[in-house]
Formats: sequence, C-alpha cells, structure tokens
Amino acid sequence: MAALSIENVKKSYGSTQVLKGINIDIEKGEFLVLIGPSGCGKSTMMNSIAGLESISEGRILIGGKDVTHANPKDRDIAMVFQSYALYPNMTVRGNISFGLEVRKMPKPEREKQVQKVAQLLQIEHLLDRKPAQLSGGQRQRVAMGRALAREPKIYLFDEPLSNLDAKLRVEMRAEIKKLHQRLGTTIVYVTHDQVEAMTLADRIAVMRDGLLQQLASPQEVYDRPANLFVAGFMGSPPMNFIDVTIQNSDSLIISDTEQHQLPIPEGYDLSSYIGKKVILGIRPEMITEPLQHKADLREVCVLKLKTLLTEAMGADTMVLTQLGEKELNCRINPGHQVQMNQYSDFMFDMSKAVFFDPQTENLI
Amino acid sequence: MANQRRFTDMLADSMPKLVLAPSFLIVMVCIYGYILWTVALSFTKSRMLPQWKFVGFDQYNKLLNNDRWAVSSENLVVFGGLFIIICLVIGIGMAILLDQKIRQEGLLRTIYLYPMAISFIVTGTAWKWLLNPSMGIQKIVREWGFEDFTFDWLVNSEMVVFCLVIAAVWQSSGFVMALFLAGLRGVDSEMIKAAQLDGASMPTIYRRIILPTLKPVFFSAFVILSHIAIKSFDLVTALTGGGPGYSSDLPANFMYAHAFTRSQMGLGAASGVMMLGGVLAILIPYLYSELRGKKQ
Amino acid sequence: MKKTYNLSYSANGTKNLSLLGSVKDKANRYLQQRSIVQHLLRILLYSVLLFMALIYLLPLLVMVMNSLKDVEEIRNGSLLALPKDPSLAAWAKAWGSACTGSTCEGIAPFFINSFKIVLPAVAISTILGALNGYVLSMWRFKGSDLFFGLLLFGCFIPFQVVLIPMAMTLGWLGLASSASGLILVHVIYGMAFTTLFFRNYYVGLPRELISAAKIDGAGFFLIFWRIILPLSPPIIVVTVIWQFTQIWNDFLFGVVFSGADNLPVTVALNNLVNTSFGGKEYNVDMAAALLAALPTIVVYVFAGKYFVRGLSAGAVKGA
Repeated sequence: MAALSIENVKKSYGSTQVLKGINIDIEKGEFLVLIGPSGCGKSTMMNSIAGLESISEGRILIGGKDVTHANPKDRDIAMVFQSYALYPNMTVRGNISFGLEVRKMPKPEREKQVQKVAQLLQIEHLLDRKPAQLSGGQRQRVAMGRALAREPKIYLFDEPLSNLDAKLRVEMRAEIKKLHQRLGTTIVYVTHDQVEAMTLADRIAVMRDGLLQQLASPQEVYDRPANLFVAGFMGSPPMNFIDVTIQNSDSLIISDTEQHQLPIPEGYDLSSYIGKKVILGIRPEMITEPLQHKADLREVCVLKLKTLLTEAMGADTMVLTQLGEKELNCRINPGHQVQMNQYSDFMFDMSKAVFFDPQTENLI
Repeated sequence: MANQRRFTDMLADSMPKLVLAPSFLIVMVCIYGYILWTVALSFTKSRMLPQWKFVGFDQYNKLLNNDRWAVSSENLVVFGGLFIIICLVIGIGMAILLDQKIRQEGLLRTIYLYPMAISFIVTGTAWKWLLNPSMGIQKIVREWGFEDFTFDWLVNSEMVVFCLVIAAVWQSSGFVMALFLAGLRGVDSEMIKAAQLDGASMPTIYRRIILPTLKPVFFSAFVILSHIAIKSFDLVTALTGGGPGYSSDLPANFMYAHAFTRSQMGLGAASGVMMLGGVLAILIPYLYSELRGKKQ
Repeated sequence: MKKTYNLSYSANGTKNLSLLGSVKDKANRYLQQRSIVQHLLRILLYSVLLFMALIYLLPLLVMVMNSLKDVEEIRNGSLLALPKDPSLAAWAKAWGSACTGSTCEGIAPFFINSFKIVLPAVAISTILGALNGYVLSMWRFKGSDLFFGLLLFGCFIPFQVVLIPMAMTLGWLGLASSASGLILVHVIYGMAFTTLFFRNYYVGLPRELISAAKIDGAGFFLIFWRIILPLSPPIIVVTVIWQFTQIWNDFLFGVVFSGADNLPVTVALNNLVNTSFGGKEYNVDMAAALLAALPTIVVYVFAGKYFVRGLSAGAVKGA
C-alpha cells in the first residue's frame, strides 16, 4: 500500500488550470522530490497534499485513507515551510510542542518528545529561546523539529533550504539526508534546485505547466530524460542539443558546412528513423579533450570545434565551443589547454547520448 | 457519531463567516441601509416625524432655492479649498524643513502635531477667544501701539469663514506634516545620492525627484483633508455657532439644524444626501486608483 | 651667474609658493563664505521652525495662562500677560460648579459620562475590529474582499447621511438618549476603522504561520488566541488610542444621540461656553476646555508614537 497516492489531481483557479491531472504513488519511507520551474504547480501540489488548498478533481490518499476533503489537522502530515513559519511569540520548546499540545498529548510525554527531537537535531541548548534570537540555520532546525515531534505519516518540505546561504544549505542538505536515512520517514520535498533534487531524492518528479514530465530515480532522470524539457532542466550547464540525421543503424550525420559522422551508441535502436532528422542530446561532460584510454572505443569520435569561451571551475574547465551555427558546452580537464578562437580536437563520447523525436520532443 | 463529526467540521469550516456575519449585518444595515433610508426620506415631505408621502424632488428644489444652503455650500467650497491648500503647503513645507537633520526634531514634531489630539470643540473654543476682537489678537496688537489694527473677521459675516480656515489649519496641518515626513523618510536614499552625484541642487532634488515620488501621500492627504472639511460640524458650532447670522454655516450644520432642531427632516435628509454626493465625487476616483494600484 | 640663478630660482619658488598660498586662501575664503552662508541658513531654518512651534503652542499657552487669572485680570489685562496671582480657582469651578446649560455642577459629571461611553465603546470596537481583521486577512473566502471594500467605504461616509435613520432605530430599540445607545453608535461607526487597522496589520504577517498552525491541528479561535493575538499588541495600542481620541473628541453623535443625563464632555463644554446668563467667566471656560482636552493630550504625550502611527495607518492604506 502506498503511503501517499495522488490520483488524477486537477486544480483550477477560475479559468486557469494549475494542475492538469497528476498521478503519483509514494511508497512508505520514500524520499520524493517535486521539482520544476516557478509556476509549474509544484507548490500548489504541495498545498493540496497538506490540505491547505482544495483540489478541483481527483483524489488524495494517505496510507490508503481518502483525505481529499479532510482538514489539514486530520491528514497526519507535517510541513516545513520555506519561511520556517515559526510562531514568533513562543519559545523553541513551545513551537515544537504546540502541535502535540493541540492534539492533547499529556504534558510529561510532550516534554519527553521535545527532548528527543531536540537531541536529534542538536538544539537542546536553544529550547528556551524565541525564534527571533536564532540564526537562519537554527530556525531551520527548529522548523524541522516541529515537524518531527508529531511523528506524522508524511513530511512535506516546501523549499526549506532556499533562505539559507550556500554553505549552510549544503550542510543542512546532508543533515536532511541523514535524518531520512535514520528515521525512514516518508518525505515529499519541493525545490527548484536541481542539486538538492539529485542529492536527496529516491525519486524525482519533474513538473511543468501543471503536468508531470517524468517520475524516476535521479540517475534515470539525468541519464534518460523523458523529453527535451527535462533534459534541458536537469543538469548545469544543460545538455547540448544537436540536430542530426540518422544515416544507418550504426551512425548519424551532423551537417553544417561539412558533414561529420558520429557513431550511434550500443543498443540504441533508431532503425525506424533512418534517413530522418532527430535531436541528439549529449551532456557537456561527454565532450572532452581527446582521452588516450578512450581512443579505441567504438562509441567515441573526435571533432574539431572552435573555442569561444573558457570558464575555470577548479575541478573542471567549462568550454563553450562552436560547431557550425551551434554552441556546445564541453567539460575538459583543467590541465588541458585550448586556444581561444582556434579549432581544437574534442572527443565525443556517445555511449550516454540520447535522442529525441523533433515532433513530440520525447525521448526515443 | 459520524454525523456529529461532520457537523463540528462544518461548523469549524464556516467559523470565519459566522464571525464576520454580525459585522456584515451591521455594515449592510447601518451604512448602506441607512443611506437608502435617508435617500428615501429625502423624497418625502417628512418634517418632525417621517411621513411616507413622496413628493419627488421637492426637497431638493427647496434646498437649491434655500439661501442658507447656498451660503453653507459656498462656505464649504471656500473653506474646504483654502483649508486643503494651506494645510498641504504648510505641511509639506514643514516636513521638508524638519527633514534637514534637525536637533530636537522629536520635540518639534510633537508640538506641531498635538492639536490633532484635541477635539474640534476645544480648538473652536480656544480660537474663539484669540479671534475675538475685544479680547484676542486685535486687542493685543492694539496694546502694542498699533491703535488702528483691525482683525475682526469673527464678527464680520464676509470674513468669518476665514476664521474657520485658521482654526482648522492650526489643528490639521501638523498631521499633514507627519504624513509627508513619513513619506520623505521612506524615499530611497540611494536615489537622492545618485541625483547629488548628477550635480542636482537640493531644491531641484526635492522638486524634481522627491516630491513626485510622494504622489500617493499627497493623494491620501487630500482625501483625508477633504473628508475633514466636509464633516466639519463641531468646529463651526464651537467657533462661530454658524454666525454672524448663518454666514459661517457649513452643510453639516445645515443638515443638523434642519433635521434635528427645525423639524425639517425631509430637507435635512436631502442635504445629507448632497453631502454624501460631495464625498463620493472625491472618493470614487481615489478608491478606483487605489484598487487599480493594488491589482498591479 | 650661479647666484642669480639661485636667486631667480628662489624667487620663482616663492612665487610658486605664494601662488599656492593664494589658491589656498581663496579656497579657504570660499569655504568660509560657504560655511557662513550655511550657518545663516541653518539659523534661519531653526528660527522658522521655532516660530511655527510658538504658533502651534500659542492657543494652549493662552488658555493655560488665562485659566490661572481671575475674570477682572482677563478683562483689563492682555491675553498674553502672565498671571499676576496664579490661582486654580477657575479650574475648581470648571470642574465642580460651573453652569452647563441647565445644571451647575461643573463638567465633572460629564467627564465621567464620557469615560462611561468611551471605555466600553473602545473595548467593543477594538475586539470586533481584531476579529474582523483576522478573518479578512487570514481566512479569506469568496466575497470577503468585497465585504472589506464595502466596509472601507464606511470609513468615509459623512455621518449626516445616517443620522436620521439611526436616531429612529435607537428610538425603536428604546435606546434613545441612553448611554448604551451612544456606545452602540460609536461601536458601529468605529468598527470600519478598527477593522481596517487590524486587517492591514495582519496582512503583513506571514500567511505560512496560519498554515503551520492549521497543520499542527489548531482551529480558528485557537490560532487567533495562541498565535495571532500575542503578535497584536502594537496594533491594539494603535487602535485603542485612535478609538479613544475619536470617541472622546466626538461631538456630533453626542449632541444628536445623548440625553440630558449622559451628555459627553464635549457637548457639556460647548454648553458651558455658550451659556449666556451672568457675566462671562473666561477663566472658567478656558479651564473647562483644558480639562476636556486633558485625557487625549495625556494620551498623545505618553503614546505619541502610536498616535501618529494610527493616524497614518488610517490615512495611508498600507501600514
């Protein structure tokens, strides 16, 4: 039985449809990340799960129980907000125990629960402070503590890290991951940060314009994006898209002023597209300087590209190159030198290349 | 059990509406209902008590031919116009002067604003003495040796309306100052720095950059002041009693006198409706721009 | 040769130096002039501000000074003269035995009347405003914004357009000329403002606070009581002060709706000042006016900050 089932959920405000029929099943203990550009409906989806907004159509089930019309308090969920939404007039202790108090848990038990949560999050020394006296990271912990104290069936996280500075964000990200692994909780996590999505999720749900684009494991989403949108959205810098023509079952042709022939990866069946145009998707890290150890592989080929711009990232150097009219992002070893505005050799590793139908924009 | 639960849930869901209901009722009855009621009365020949005998626009005709009404509306135009303009000029001027990093600004602000805490009745009473020729300013200046000095507006039916202006400006200009001072403090200081680097002088900066950004403040000050002007009733009562004769009456006094002391309810109602019309003429454009501003 | 060269050099040098000096001089003089001009401007600025302060204070000072004189001294002397022999006799009379229309008990009973009207009216309208504001900001529903618009309009109507029906309604309810009737009127027409204050304040609180509390399981009143109300003291102070000043200073409702035994102090003051029999006792009038103004002035002096905030909250939509 799924911990949370979202069945054909639709939601409209007046004539604008924000959710256009979403279906997701989340297993117990799963960490699901909802990601998408702003306005894609991910926050509405979250609020609908929480019961803060009503849905126009469809059903939501938590632990097999239909909660479509239930009040937030009857859904057995907890939520961590982007702004933390700590009660400013209560101490940390009060914040954490408020939900328990409302649910009429006796005081000694409440106190025990607060201690347990505080210990888990290492905020015992903060229990008697007011939220205004806490730093951003501490507030974040208290907000999580408030959610944890109730031990609900499902935790909802609404962009919880977006108000923290970069360093703290990485720290808290790891912390959340650890907590999830330790407690085995079911989590739905909304973010627009793809690094958070990749690192945290068991499965990622990519949304756009109120529609689910892909629901799969992070690696799957990265390696085999369901369509052009997902391919372009996940990964930074984004995947390169090149218009190509399929020559035969083993090779394809990129044509600009001259024609380049590239191999088609093993196991990719493009026989029905022979002679037709498709879109090749290749990640920047698959276009590198020529590597000796790969030189003999069948799925590798070397092309001359003009270098337009280099950006040293430290571990790698990003190179913007030109192939015909097309600009391509490449990732090379910082030790390798390329000349600006000169043509140099770049190695295309096609083993992880993907192809999209130009009409449907879907993965072939 | 399930039914009971349903019921408590429903009760909880409709709690906001239930809480708002009494206020809703009050607003619909005591504001909109009463306005309609007054409008209805204004079409009847009610005198001491309401009589539901409709006479069409008779009361309005009477009103327009009534000399006292003519005087009071003319007074309102003069009083309102001068009151608003002078308050705005003094208020903006003092706000700018106070904005020059003045020592003891808080104290000065307190002094400028305290009249706003006083009722118009007390203000009227105080200025009644100061403007009284045989006791106040005229007498003081004559004692200083200017034997021919005359300042008898209070007893001069041509000039008495300016006495209302003086007292009302004294009471309300500090408030306008406070509004604009708050507005000035809200102006982006980087914008001013940028203008200074562009070589603009302080007067230019105020005229070209700061004051134009205070348009909304200007607007709300205007609405509040015109509202005060139209409602001014106590000031007239305390300062001039409407006199000499009825030369300093304002519509509010006219309405009160006819509806409650002269048993001319229909006429009083008609004058009340006219006052509402005056407020609406100012308010509707304001609310319109306000609502439009919120949508953007 | 060498010498002349040296000389000429030194002459040149001094010339250069003196040139430099004169530039410095000029700059100094310019700066001095500028600072003198600025100094003068500064003095002018302070003079204007002080002069204005004097004008604003003048009526109050005149009233205080003359309330301490006796009638003879006012008649014969100048309004601006300091009292020769200050006495509180006029204050005592204004408070306890001056004639206001038909009675001669001073304004003390009316002062108490005013409090009897003001306190309940302020309390009730503030509570109503808080609840309304809470609903209109945190629990919006279809039509609630429209209601807010309708209510906002109520802040602006001239009360003359509702006076007659209100008087009739109070008559039917048997509340004509009673303190409760007057309280009711003040609550009804004060509610628009109090609601506006609270609503605008609550709109500034994060909505997520309510969402969090809902998820924690709290309901409408519990959220109000445990979370919203503890955050409200600033706006409560503003509202209470605003309502207190408004209702204390009211004259129109007082003169229309109150009866002989519950006249508020503003109406009584007006009666006292306009009582025509006997010689005019200006000192008593002034003392009475000051007494009538005292509560709101005290509030203003001690809570001026909130007072200003209320004024601008009512005025400039935002707050």
